[in-house]
Amino acid sequence: MKLIGIVGTNSKKSTNRNLLVYMQKHFADKAEIELVEIKDLPLFNKPTDKKLPGSVLEIAQKIEAADGVIIATPEYDHAVPAALMNALAWLSYGITPLLNKPVMITGASYGQLGSSRAQAQLRQILDAPELKANVMPGSEFLLPHSLQAFDADNNLLDLGTVQKLDALFEDFCLFVKIAEKLSNAQDLLHKEAQDFDWEKL
Amino acid sequence: MKFVGIVGSNSEVSYNRKLLEFVRKHFKDTFELEILEIDEVPLFNQDKNWEDSFQLRLLNNKITRADGVIIATPEHNHTTTTALKSVLEWLSYKVHPFENKPVMIMGASYYDQGTSRAQLHLRNILDAPGVNAYVLPGNEFLLGKAKEAFDDQGNIKSKETVAFLGTCLNNFIKYVDVVKGLKKPRPIEEEDLDCNHPIKTTVTEVDPDDPEWVEKVAALKNAVSGDTYVKLDHGILTVDQINMFLRSMPFELTYADDNNQFLYYNNAHQDPDAMLAKRVPSQSGSRLSTVHNSLPPKRMKNVEWVVGTLRNGNQEYVRTLVPGSPENIINTHHYQAMYYPDGSYAGINELVFNFKPWLDWYLKETGQRLVGGKASMTPDVATSASQATPTEATLDANTGASEH
Repeated sequence: MKLIGIVGTNSKKSTNRNLLVYMQKHFADKAEIELVEIKDLPLFNKPTDKKLPGSVLEIAQKIEAADGVIIATPEYDHAVPAALMNALAWLSYGITPLLNKPVMITGASYGQLGSSRAQAQLRQILDAPELKANVMPGSEFLLPHSLQAFDADNNLLDLGTVQKLDALFEDFCLFVKIAEKLSNAQDLLHKEAQDFDWEKL
Repeated sequence: MKFVGIVGSNSEVSYNRKLLEFVRKHFKDTFELEILEIDEVPLFNQDKNWEDSFQLRLLNNKITRADGVIIATPEHNHTTTTALKSVLEWLSYKVHPFENKPVMIMGASYYDQGTSRAQLHLRNILDAPGVNAYVLPGNEFLLGKAKEAFDDQGNIKSKETVAFLGTCLNNFIKYVDVVKGLKKPRPIEEEDLDCNHPIKTTVTEVDPDDPEWVEKVAALKNAVSGDTYVKLDHGILTVDQINMFLRSMPFELTYADDNNQFLYYNNAHQDPDAMLAKRVPSQSGSRLSTVHNSLPPKRMKNVEWVVGTLRNGNQEYVRTLVPGSPENIINTHHYQAMYYPDGSYAGINELVFNFKPWLDWYLKETGQRLVGGKASMTPDVATSASQATPTEATLDANTGASEH
C-alpha cells in the first residue's frame, strides 16, 4: 500500500513532522509512506488564469498515485494553520486529487488538547464541494504534550498511545480497501467537482 | 469613532472588499472606516520575521490604534481564506494588536450561504488565546448571492438588507462603547527625552542643544531656502511659501521627532512672551529634556507620559488645558501623533491655541450658551476640553501635561 503523509506546517521544527516520520518507520512493513512538505508552495491568490504552480502539480500527482493520505495538522489559533489551508486551497483549484481519496487525520500539539479543534475544522474543509475527500470516520488521533512524547530516536514513549495509533492505522488500511469499493458515485462526483464553478452558481 | 476594515481576500476581485467599501461610504457620517488590504502579506511562517512585511506593520499599527475592527471574510472550502488566516497567525505570534479589540465579522459570498461557516470559524480563531479579540456576539451579517446584491455604483440594492446592516453596525458601535472599560492601555516604557536614539533624519554632527543648531545644520546639509521649490505629497511650494503658510497658522505649532528632538516651531517671528507656549529661536534642535529643563520632575513625568502614550498607540492625540490663564484665554495644547508611512510613530505635532475666540464665535453663531456645572479636569485628558465650561475648568485645573 502506498500512502502520502502531508506535513501540515511550514515550520522548520514540528512535532507533527516527527509524528509522520515515526509512522513512516513504525508502519514500514504495512505501507510505504512518502512524506510531502508544503512549505515551498506560494500563497494562494485565486489566479484568474487557473494556472497552477509546478510545486502544486507535483504534490497533486503524488496524491493521485497514492492509495491514501495521512495529514498531520498542528493547531494555530484554534484552527488549521494557514500553510495547510494554503496547500488544500491549491489542491482544490481546478484539480481534484483528493476527491474520494481515503484520508486519515492526525495531529500533535504542545499543550494537552492535541490539535482537537484544528482536526474538527480539517474534517469540515475536506468535506467541501471542491475537495470531497473520504475522511475515515471516528478516527481522531490526538497527540498532546508532543514535545515530551518522543524519545531521542523519535519513538513514541507512551505504550497506550502506540497501541491506539497501531489500531487506528490497521483500521485505516482496511478503510482504504473499503473506499476503493465505494466507486459507484465516483465518476459522477469527479465530473461534478470538475464542473463546479462558484461563478455559475 | 475610527474603525479599520480588513478585506479578508487577497484576490483582485472581491465582493467582500465591495461590501466594506459600501459600509465606508454609506455610514461615513456615523464612523470613519479605513479599509486595509492583506494581499501583500506573505504566508505565515514562524521561522520568518513579521517586521519584514510593510503591509503587516501597517496592519499592526492601524489595528492597535483603531476603536474597532470590521473583518469581511469570504468562504473557501467551508472555512475562512488562507490569506486571512495567515494574517491572523502573524498578528497573534510576536505581536497581538487584536488583544481586547472589539471586532465585528461580516461576509459576502456567491451562493446563499453568505460565508456562514467561514464566519463561525473566524469567531473561533479570534477567540484563541494569542488573538484574544472581543468579537461582537450575534449580529451575523451574511450577504448571499453577492453578484446580484450590488448595483452599478456599488450600493446594496435591497433596502431591508441595508437597514439590517445599519442595525448590526449600530449594535457594534454600542458594543465598542461598552467594552471600552475592559481595554488595558499598553504599558509605557521610559521615554528617552535626551535623544540618544538617532533616527534616519537625525543630524548627529551638531549638538542638539547648540543655540546655533539651525544655522549649523542648514550649512552642513546644504538645506534649501528662499525661492527654491519643494515637492510635497500634494503640492509644490517654495521654501518662502511654506514659511508664510506655517507662520499664518492661527496656532503655535511645534514639531518634535521620533527621537524626541525639538526640530521646529512656526512662531520664531513672534515675541516669545506673547506666546501661549513660550519658545525661543535658540531652542530649535534641542533635546526635549533641555526644552523642558525648567519643569519640576513631576511635570517631566507628564511629558514622558504624553510621548509614551502617542508612541504606544494608546491614543492618537492628547489634549490638555493649561491652568491659570487669564479670563479671555483658554490655553489648549493638542499633542497629535505623526506617523511614518507604515503607521509607526514618527513624532509629535503640537498645536497650541487660544480656544476662547473660537468658542465665542461658535456660541454667537448658533445662539447657544454655556450653562453652569461643575467642571473638572478628568485624569483622562484625551476626553475633549469642551466638556468643561472654560472658566471653571481654568479655576479648577491642575494637571496640565506641560506648561513649557
